[in-house]
Amino acid sequence: MTSLLRIFWLEVTALVRSWTAAILLALSLGWMFAANFVLVTDATEDGAREMLVRYGLGGVFALLVVSVLSVATGSIASEREAKRLQLTQVRPVSPFAIAWGKFLALSAVAAAVLAFPCATLVCSSEFSGLRCSHVCRPKMESPAEEAVKMYDVFMADPETPPEAKKAKKSVVLRLLEQRAKDNYQTVGTNETAVWAFPGLHDWAAANADVDLSVRLKFSNDFDMRDDVRGTLAADGFFGVVSNITQTAIIVSLFRGECAAERDAVAFRNEGRAPVMLRPRQDVELLVPADSFVWNLLRSYVVMVSVLAFVAAFGIFLGAGLSRPVALFTAIVMLAVSEMSPSVVEQYPDQLETDRIDRIGLAMTRLVERGTKSVSSLSPLSSLAEGDCVERGDVAETFALDFLVLPLALCLLSGILIRRKQEQ
Amino acid sequence: MEDCVIRLEKVSKTFRDFWLRPTVAAVDSLDLEVRRGEVFGLLGPNGSGKSTTIKMILGLLSPSAGKVSLFGLPPHAKAARARLGYLPELSYLHPFLTARETLMYYAGLCSLSRAEARSRADQLLEMVKLTDVANRAVGGFSKGMARRVALASALVGKPELLVLDEPTSGLDPVSTKEVKTLVKALAKKGMTVLTTSHLLADSQDICDRVMILNRGKCAAEGKVSELGESLEEFFLAKVGSGDDFALADFLA
Repeated sequence: MTSLLRIFWLEVTALVRSWTAAILLALSLGWMFAANFVLVTDATEDGAREMLVRYGLGGVFALLVVSVLSVATGSIASEREAKRLQLTQVRPVSPFAIAWGKFLALSAVAAAVLAFPCATLVCSSEFSGLRCSHVCRPKMESPAEEAVKMYDVFMADPETPPEAKKAKKSVVLRLLEQRAKDNYQTVGTNETAVWAFPGLHDWAAANADVDLSVRLKFSNDFDMRDDVRGTLAADGFFGVVSNITQTAIIVSLFRGECAAERDAVAFRNEGRAPVMLRPRQDVELLVPADSFVWNLLRSYVVMVSVLAFVAAFGIFLGAGLSRPVALFTAIVMLAVSEMSPSVVEQYPDQLETDRIDRIGLAMTRLVERGTKSVSSLSPLSSLAEGDCVERGDVAETFALDFLVLPLALCLLSGILIRRKQEQ
Repeated sequence: MEDCVIRLEKVSKTFRDFWLRPTVAAVDSLDLEVRRGEVFGLLGPNGSGKSTTIKMILGLLSPSAGKVSLFGLPPHAKAARARLGYLPELSYLHPFLTARETLMYYAGLCSLSRAEARSRADQLLEMVKLTDVANRAVGGFSKGMARRVALASALVGKPELLVLDEPTSGLDPVSTKEVKTLVKALAKKGMTVLTTSHLLADSQDICDRVMILNRGKCAAEGKVSELGESLEEFFLAKVGSGDDFALADFLA
């Protein structure tokens, strides 16, 4: 334990005395200050929050990810190259303690630097009164369940391409699952769509003084710039939809008598054109929850966890490779992990006839799954939109990114430290 | 109590390339014993296998064949390392730490408490005559001063065995003499010392026994007092047939 603390102290001292921490702090605070002037908002509190969170804090987070990666890849590699590492290794210290001590120090410094820009948002009086909302989606069959149901019909359909008929069942199911996610529901003029939200009635009864809202998103792929008009009716709530240009609108619902099914939200299209929506993605019921500050705090924990994972990953690469190679590998993997979700989303069809394309897509899908926790900057995009950062997600990210994965990576780093000295 | 502090039995080390093909046989079937309280010198020209042998003794390298034991334990055992102090060929200090912080850092790694570490650091700084500059970053130290800090940090954990890799390397004559005096003083207190050098004169002054290595093999071994003035002739007879440049360096 003493040796772990000593390694932690040494690493923190190195980061402080080499001015690394101070430079990062100055850049972070400088950007947060400049963001107030550089970013153009729509002059509303919500707009200001969205810009400052998404691009102000988001910029700081991106800076820290790259910096932590750079420092982490060098923390063991450069010590080994300068032969200082062997002086620690000949002491009664396990290689795991060396990696874990460095990981904790780097995470602590990153957390400390990130705390300051977050504190500037907390201290900002214009955000103190804001509240975030829980996001509830309609209860529907899961895309995987729907895919299984669609499978037989799809395979029997004469219009199904022959490649799909020859493909493995798992590949076709994945394709159908993606289609189910993107399934559009058309609501014709003067027609009503109803989506189930179990528990809405009881919640409304228990929270008589709280109003709800509904967020509707309209895809750009369809010509939805036409005037959309209609009404929303929920269990004891109603609201009016009127959208001309936005791709997403938030409709406030007010309490009142209305003809709506129990535990359901209904949208009646009173416009001139049909409305197309993907219920799984485009219809969200917003339930007011705790304050912006609490959600910022939870986002902070998620960001620190992601930075910790990045630190552990950098240390792992530095333990096995030379510093330039480790840094290059880390940056390439970071870029691939950031790009892979959009590649997977844009090319969901695995029925590629070209073998190389198939292999490439399979590899991209593998990277996307493996790096999901890092590539997703969801805490900031949720917070920017005023959505809650859910406690369960925070706990899961913290356990995975701050504890389980770094522990595994530091154990592997310990093995690599011993292996590398043999070369 | 184990009388033999270091034991190497038929130890070989062959380095391999990426494809695991053998490239260099650095040490070949080496037997070595260092007893408690003696000052043992490993001598040999550059590339003779001294550093590889030291690294195997420290547990930084694993032998390709044979067995290495330190205090009767494997060299990477924590219990063995807790009784060991190591001075590398170059000082390799953390440049942003002060001399006192450097010693306290290594004391912490040896599980000394904060109070113990502080008192031990002060004691050693006085011993190596660096008390006046104890709070200066070692990155700005001269080579001799850095060497003294490195020596103090090797001693900070109160080791029973001190491994010195080329302890006088790069030092001026005065500093060299100081280091030799210090090693003699430590040996008098009963500390076991293993030192390497490619300079015969260094070892003659401080060692009880020496082993001469050549191309990874033991070329000669014995007490300095027994070998005495004939050590140079002994060396010439055993290994003098090869590299004249290395030989001249060795006999300097």
